[in-house]
Amino acid sequence: MTADQIRAHIDPIRHEFAEPRSLVLPALKFAQTEKGHLTREDLEAVSAATGFSAAFVESVASFYDRLYLEPTGTRVVSVCVTLSCMLRGADEVWERLCDREGVSHHGGTTGDGRITIQEAQCLGYCDRAPCIQVDADETVGPMTPESAGQLVDDLRVAPAPDEFWR
Amino acid sequence: MPILNSVYRHREAGHVLTDVAAYREAGGFDALHTALGDMEPDDLLYVFHRSGLRGRGGAGFPMGRKASFLPKDAKLAKYVVCNADESEPGTFKDREIIQMNPFQLIEGIVLAGYAIGAERGYIYIRGEYEFQARILQAAIAAARDAGFLGTDIARSGFTFDITLYRGAGAYICGEETGLLESLEGKRGQPRLKPPFPAVAGLYSSPTLINNVETLSALPPIVTRGADWYAALGPEKSPGSKIFSVSGHVTRPGNYEIILGQTTLRELIFEHAGGVRDGRRVKAIWVGGSSVPVLGEQHLDTPLDYESLNAVGTFLGSGGCIVMDDSGCIVRSTLRLASFYKHESCGKCTPCREGTTWMERILQRIVDGEGRMEDLQLLESIFGRISGKVLCALAEGAVAPISSAIKLFREDFVAAIEQGGALRPEPMWPEAPAEAR
Amino acid sequence: MADYAPVDATVDNLVTFELNGRTVSAPPGTMLVDAAYAAGVEVPIFCYEPRLGPPIGACRMCLVEIEGMRGLQTACNTPVAQDMVVTTNSPNVKDAHDGILELLLVQHPLDCPVCDKGGECPLQDRTFRFGPGKSRFVEPKRHWPKPLELSSRIALDRERCIRCFRCVRFSQEVAQDGQLTMQERGAASEITTFSGDAYEARFSGNIVDICPVGALTSIPYRFVARPWEVTNTPSVCGLCPVGCNTELTTREGDLKRVTGRDDPNYAVEEGWLCDKGRWGYDIIHSPTRLQAPVIREAAGDRTASLEDTLPAVAGLVAGRRVGILLGGGATLEEAGIALDLASGALAGAVVSRLGIPAGGLSALRARPSADLGEIDEADVVVVVGGDPAAQQPVVELRLRKARRFGATVIGAGPRPHALETLGEFTRSAPGALADAIGTFGAPVAAAANPVVLWDEADLAADPAAVDALDALLSGTPNARQIELGTDVNGAGLQALGISTDGVLAAIADHALDALVCVHADPLGAAGRTAWADALASFDGPVVALATHETATTARADIVLPAFTMWEQDGTIVSMTGRAQRLRPGAQGPDEAAAGWELLVALAHYLGAPPVYRTAAAAFAYTAARTPALAGLTADVIGTEGARIGTRPDVSDGSRGVAEGAGLELVATHDQFGDVQTADSHALRTAFQPPAVRVHPATAAAGGIEAGALVVLTSPIGRSERLPLIADDRVPEGVVLAPLGAPGAPVEGALAVDRHRIRVRMERG
Ligand SMILES: Cc1cc2nc3c(=O)[nH]c(=O)nc-3n(C[C@H](O)[C@H](O)[C@H](O)COP(=O)(O)O)c2cc1C
Ligand code: SF4
Ligand code: FES
Repeated sequence: MTADQIRAHIDPIRHEFAEPRSLVLPALKFAQTEKGHLTREDLEAVSAATGFSAAFVESVASFYDRLYLEPTGTRVVSVCVTLSCMLRGADEVWERLCDREGVSHHGGTTGDGRITIQEAQCLGYCDRAPCIQVDADETVGPMTPESAGQLVDDLRVAPAPDEFWR
Repeated sequence: MPILNSVYRHREAGHVLTDVAAYREAGGFDALHTALGDMEPDDLLYVFHRSGLRGRGGAGFPMGRKASFLPKDAKLAKYVVCNADESEPGTFKDREIIQMNPFQLIEGIVLAGYAIGAERGYIYIRGEYEFQARILQAAIAAARDAGFLGTDIARSGFTFDITLYRGAGAYICGEETGLLESLEGKRGQPRLKPPFPAVAGLYSSPTLINNVETLSALPPIVTRGADWYAALGPEKSPGSKIFSVSGHVTRPGNYEIILGQTTLRELIFEHAGGVRDGRRVKAIWVGGSSVPVLGEQHLDTPLDYESLNAVGTFLGSGGCIVMDDSGCIVRSTLRLASFYKHESCGKCTPCREGTTWMERILQRIVDGEGRMEDLQLLESIFGRISGKVLCALAEGAVAPISSAIKLFREDFVAAIEQGGALRPEPMWPEAPAEAR
Repeated sequence: MADYAPVDATVDNLVTFELNGRTVSAPPGTMLVDAAYAAGVEVPIFCYEPRLGPPIGACRMCLVEIEGMRGLQTACNTPVAQDMVVTTNSPNVKDAHDGILELLLVQHPLDCPVCDKGGECPLQDRTFRFGPGKSRFVEPKRHWPKPLELSSRIALDRERCIRCFRCVRFSQEVAQDGQLTMQERGAASEITTFSGDAYEARFSGNIVDICPVGALTSIPYRFVARPWEVTNTPSVCGLCPVGCNTELTTREGDLKRVTGRDDPNYAVEEGWLCDKGRWGYDIIHSPTRLQAPVIREAAGDRTASLEDTLPAVAGLVAGRRVGILLGGGATLEEAGIALDLASGALAGAVVSRLGIPAGGLSALRARPSADLGEIDEADVVVVVGGDPAAQQPVVELRLRKARRFGATVIGAGPRPHALETLGEFTRSAPGALADAIGTFGAPVAAAANPVVLWDEADLAADPAAVDALDALLSGTPNARQIELGTDVNGAGLQALGISTDGVLAAIADHALDALVCVHADPLGAAGRTAWADALASFDGPVVALATHETATTARADIVLPAFTMWEQDGTIVSMTGRAQRLRPGAQGPDEAAAGWELLVALAHYLGAPPVYRTAAAAFAYTAARTPALAGLTADVIGTEGARIGTRPDVSDGSRGVAEGAGLELVATHDQFGDVQTADSHALRTAFQPPAVRVHPATAAAGGIEAGALVVLTSPIGRSERLPLIADDRVPEGVVLAPLGAPGAPVEGALAVDRHRIRVRMERG
């Protein structure tokens, strides 16, 4: 994404913050909507648009789980593995999904580059445990290994979103 | 005593209140008119104070007292920050309020802003709640269109607006100073305290930070009166609290109860449907995952701050995770240890290294490579972390682990002696799984 | 030790509190760790570093017990309070120290025997004193491929890093280069630059000094020496007029390392060095280093021994009319002996110095002046002319600190520079600083504690500005001034009353028979065209005492190799008027000697042995004859330095007006673009190649595109070819050109007295 595009996004909200540094996180999140992850060029564009050093911008991005500095699949599937979900079968969902999609039990991106599967910490949907979130869409559940597989299959054939909010 | 239906209007009305008209219909924004029309900020502060409302984010600090810590100097910019980071494992009550009743939260924030003399509020919402963020964003716009945000709110001369700020996935940004750092566009690493946010918070300005549930309680307190609220529940723990119940219960969900008038047993069995037939409750993390775990013997504890403290745990965020006797406490404890290790910000030594070390030891025990001295080692690590850290994350990491080893020591010993902890069969959803 | 801030117990209203049962006092606001250290109690720390800004309380090492407070408190961010009762040695506290150290060591490799920091490592020391007997960590430790090159000069061993954030805070808060950051989170946190790019910054080496473990090490020093094999000598840096206090690490007679001192000089550099001062010492061994005397004869050059050469020099100058020309880096001892020779063995010799005439500047210099350290307390800082970041590097850190502390920074000058982002700066036309100075009157008058920095070269070329500045200073009695000087020992030579006039005129007048240059390179200095003209028709012998080959040593009949500032005793006076001592940290070449020794030997061979035989005695002898140095001896100067008195009024030079037509030439100097940096192997990636800069419109008006090679021609002479850079911050009609670059490309176009000059810019 270009610095100008990022500026166009943050300039309208600039006045809402007493210090421009607050724009770094919104700028990063917005820059990520283009490719679903942040490249060196994206980070440089955020740096140019906000006025903070590229190293600083990168260090901020690397702190947060939902900002990706490595390429991801078209869709990112987050499987909650925290306690409430674990008690209701999250580990089984996770492992069977990983096996089915051919990624290691640490997660990863499928061979066709379509889907990244990752573990997530409590998504705030423990009432629907075990739950799964696709990008930052509304979390769904309760899942079974089968319904999780179905969800990924559906994602594969669905068109990619216009903007990647994850 | 007045009969409480609910402190939260969507619960009282029995349906979602996501448009201004519906919210008004349910009595919404009356508090704003009352406060801005008839009350001085200090009077409003006093109402908050007298209500006895305590913070619902975890620490339970009296809201009115915290608000009164902000310096009265009118020249200083002041801010209200709403903590909607809701990342505490087992907690999903703020999500309900935001999704079903965003205007009550907005109204609460404006009331808090008026009371402390702020002109801007921020809602910091966790990045994973993008769906909820959009609902809030729309509600903020609608409230502004309806004249409840912006300049000259309800023709009172008071100007106030709200900015929604999205996090990007970090539990530590729920900790108030980590949140402020993140809101300032930085890594969400907690700050040294003092100074506390009330004195030097966002942009070093006096800042009031409260949880979604706390702020949402303000409008009914104003309309129905501080005395009404204070009379709900025990003297030191007044009001209602939403408990999120999850884990091995048949009806997971949010349940609002009046503090002190409901026991843990009632919450789990009457509200949340209890555990499966033939199963018994084994472990309960009643206030989210950062509190000491309880056992079956604690089921008759009334749910309020003092009673829970008396049995050695905390009310916390009200994220009540229940495990029945099919579950494995050693594995559950390891899972929480992994959570804290993953979420440690890395700034202070005991948390960064301690959470890593604890996880490694527990993992060994689960994998069958535990040694009996590991339990003493863990206990000594607790002492090296507790009381020595920069923020409460690591205290929250120690609490469930140390309490589990105390309460369920035999399970840990068994795991060590029997070569590990087997993975139990989980409780599968009864209904066919479908994305709801 | 720099780890703890110095505590000034001489102020009023001290706070009194109890520390381990003793009554102790410290000024209000003092952090407990510092107050305790001053009272002889070491509270261990890692992340705390008072020079890095407010404490962050990250490492949790400094836990202590304070009566009435729940749990333990971090002493690094707890200010002392009246009647506080503090315990740092209770079992509880000891257990806490033990615990934190055990946790720090959980992931830290136990590779002390092969670690460069071993033996001078705070983690090692503190583990020894405060730490656990053994680690109970049985899991495998984390592993990273090692080490990473953060730059060509700094290695990073990530497994050793204890995440104290010191280096990151240095980069972000002190140097503000923005390059070094912490990435990732939790146990995965690591120090890195943007996408792993090289950490190229001018103060980068300081992170090696402040790293409390062996995570950051100096590549030139890696595996070179162990702490018990070396000696450390306090000295000063002689690469620029700031005079930063350094420590020289010597092993087997060779200089292995230059660092800031453990006990920094807060009045000067506060322990921070620029990378040139830290790593530039390898020019001791550069190919251009003079190793032995050279005698140039009709038959060709031959090297000779000092023993043979010195009598030959004596023979050449004895009884002749001699000119002695001192370079700006000549020490007080060398200059003092030169003056002594001129009044004795070489009676009637003309002694002068290369550099900017002092004539117009005496009034300013006599105004109340400040040390660099006093910038910290200023509320208003004014920068008049110059380019301190490039010319007097460490001043940059002081100005950034003042800004961090809330000072208003304002200024004006003819050239854009790196510190202009610190405040409001205006661009003045060359020779028109007076107007801008006029606008500073109000803010300076309104300030409680204003400090005015002014550039020697810019003011010397602008008499109206001198008058305006003098009026400003005289009108605001609390204002203090700091000269941004040009020459390493310019202030010292001025203190001795040595003028810039004399030698050149005498040569031109055929009034000299011999020329002795002492660390002076007139053929490579500003105005070299005039010197070249004069020397072309000079048929007397030229003797050059120098450390490295220069244009002048190439022309000299006899070259005397001298020790560098890292190899000799001596005294230099910084631009703020601080006399400080150089001490040897290396053995110079066998057939070379300290400049002062060479001159003393010369006096012997001239049959007039001086009364002094050591550098200290030579200094005492000179100081006793110099009012500005009254009372100073080597002992008085000590390791901290001492301020000199008012320099005598010397009416040398012309207060010249602009000469010529065309673009106004504004000289710049980049410490990282000069011949010394070019000569340093360690600094090869830091070198800034010379270029001239003009406004794009100026380039367009001349029909020259950026990147083209150009030549500047003034009425005095011409420059070498240099690439052109278009920079819209340069005023139109002005050309910026670098002095001091290898080969002295611009010096030929300038006047000896550096008065303003105009040039024609043409494609070259
Ligand atoms: C590690 C950690 C995580 C926290 N997460 C949250 C959170 O997600 N939401 C929240 O409201 N408070 C959270 N808190 C508590 C906040 O620091 C703070 O106490 C709270 O926002 C104050 O609001 P209240 O007084 O209304 O509860 C957290 C605290 C810690 C130490
Ligand atoms: S590299 Fe050294 S200075 Fe930097 S954080 Fe690690 S231990 Fe501290
Ligand atoms: S020195 Fe106090 S916390 Fe690090």
